[in-house]
Amino acid sequence: MSKEEATLPDGDLISSPAPSGWEERIVHFLLTRSPLGGLVRWVAAIKASVHGKLLAGYLLVTLLVIGIGALSLQTISKMSTQGQLLDEAHERVHWSQEIQHALAMQMNFTAMALLLKSETTVENILRENNRFNNTLARLEKAAQPEEIELIQRIRAAQGEALTTVADIANLIRDGKVEEAMQLQHSKQYPLYRRIEDFVTQLVERERNKMDRLRSSVAAADRNTLILMASSAAALMLLALLLGFVISWSFILPVQKAHGFLSEVAKGNFAATIDVPNRDEFGALAAHMNHMSQELHRLYDSQHQASQELQRLNEQLQQASKAKSNFLANMSHELRTPMNAILGFVEMVLDEIYGEVPPHLREPLTDIQTNGKHLLRLINDVLDLSKIEAGRMELVLAEYSVQDVVETVRTSLQSLALEKGLEFAAAVGDNIPVALGDPKRITQCLMNLVGNALKFTKHGRVTVWVEQQGENLLFRVSDTGIGIPKEELENIFGEFQQVDTAITREFTGTGLGLNITKKFVEMHGGRIWVESELGQGSTFFFNLPLRTTAVEVT
Amino acid sequence: MSGKTVLYVEDNEFNLKMVRQLLARTAYRLIEATDGESGVATALKELPDLILMDIQLPKMSGLEATRQLRADPKTAAIPIIVITSFALSGDDQKAKDAGATAYMAKPYSPRELLQTIRNLLPEQ
Repeated sequence: MSKEEATLPDGDLISSPAPSGWEERIVHFLLTRSPLGGLVRWVAAIKASVHGKLLAGYLLVTLLVIGIGALSLQTISKMSTQGQLLDEAHERVHWSQEIQHALAMQMNFTAMALLLKSETTVENILRENNRFNNTLARLEKAAQPEEIELIQRIRAAQGEALTTVADIANLIRDGKVEEAMQLQHSKQYPLYRRIEDFVTQLVERERNKMDRLRSSVAAADRNTLILMASSAAALMLLALLLGFVISWSFILPVQKAHGFLSEVAKGNFAATIDVPNRDEFGALAAHMNHMSQELHRLYDSQHQASQELQRLNEQLQQASKAKSNFLANMSHELRTPMNAILGFVEMVLDEIYGEVPPHLREPLTDIQTNGKHLLRLINDVLDLSKIEAGRMELVLAEYSVQDVVETVRTSLQSLALEKGLEFAAAVGDNIPVALGDPKRITQCLMNLVGNALKFTKHGRVTVWVEQQGENLLFRVSDTGIGIPKEELENIFGEFQQVDTAITREFTGTGLGLNITKKFVEMHGGRIWVESELGQGSTFFFNLPLRTTAVEVT
Repeated sequence: MSGKTVLYVEDNEFNLKMVRQLLARTAYRLIEATDGESGVATALKELPDLILMDIQLPKMSGLEATRQLRADPKTAAIPIIVITSFALSGDDQKAKDAGATAYMAKPYSPRELLQTIRNLLPEQ
């Protein structure tokens, strides 16, 4: 793949995600068509750790929350002050009303004194006067500076009124009721009306003040509501914005990394990942580029190695094929002279060329025996070579176990008879037709029985085959010389016979057991032996009743 | 001599000589060829009553020669005994597939060969 088509679209952070769902489409729009994209890039490019960026975002939002909280507290305290002021004004209005009441009572009691011509009611007037003064004092104490003057005027007028009341009382005591009534009309009434006016003015002022306070509180209420609502909205927007910008400044490099890794997984090692992040993600991207380069290098060397291996493998296959052909040719080439040797000897012994002198019959038979042995050696060596070269293949066919055993029995019966050994071969009942390579299985059984007859001088050799579930168990036992324990392991190796002295006595190729083991294993079976020195040996092998997969060892 | 004709296609002179001597005391008449091509040519020319064909021959393999003879109507009916190599599994099958009437593994016993010939082609 060329460098041009290999590089990912561009180094821009906002490029890779292909929008599919509506949510993704919105994000894609925000990232490509709004200033947010620039902001995301800017945040990505800030040289700070992911932790630092997140912390800064949270801190910013938290600080704003604290600010808004402080503002709210301030507003609440202001509102509570205004409430207090309103309460105080209320109280003052109340007191003023009380003053008015005391004044009215004073008037009333004065009138009563005049009516009853009794000065005792004057005491009541004094009591009301005290109430008036006390209340006024309280009012003065709570009064605003601009009201003090008015209050002092009220006090002065009240003082004057009290003097008048005292005069009236004296006149009544002296029986000058007429004069008293006149004084009341001329002086007390106007005084009381003046006081009344002052108090009314005071109340009016307080009422006005209260109105002003009330409207100010209402305005403050409105303003506070607007301020809180807009702050909350602004805060929410800021949180959303920060969340969006910070998270996408992280998500985008992850998405790019995802795309990049997919390319690498597809084998495109020339791809590079380019993100503006100067945080952990930036470092990760740099690492990934490095990794990709390393992978590229590894892949190249691996590729080279595998090509080299393939080339070697082809050479080996050719060599193996050549070896196999050589074996096939060799097999036939060796057999051709053997054919002539054994054929001529047989014809001589069959007296095709005339009568054979008795003294020549024995050497001729020796030639025949050794020729046959040489042939067996050739067969075994060639079989083994084919197995080792992996060119030996089983020819699977259905066969009858009975037939195989019968073939072996008839072939070797004469040998047993010659040696005077008891020889029995039998097969369990109801064994079904089996699947395998009957020629090779016969060869295996022939090898084992041949060995048993060869290494047994007295007694018997028995062959027994039975079905065990999905397997066939072949058993060949003899009463021969047996195998020492230390040799049991090696018995199936190549050119293994118990010892050379025995080899001299019992001729054999030493390859039979090895070949037998390999054929059994190619069928998916197992071979083993139990033996006691001097008592005899029992060879077992099992085969699947139906061999399916042929395993070449 | 009007004995039945047997063609032996074999490149080894000792084997040829052996069969020649084996058949000398019988009524069969032996003709010989030493490679696949001349084997086919001789068979077509002489139209023998039976053919012994070695599997491995110069110029053309015994299997190919057998196939060609089977394909030719003049020789299609002639019994052919193919001589195979014992150790090579599949040779028997290949011989059958090529059209062999019978096959014998090398080395064969002259006694058994004569018996097989007699079974396929009675001497008289």
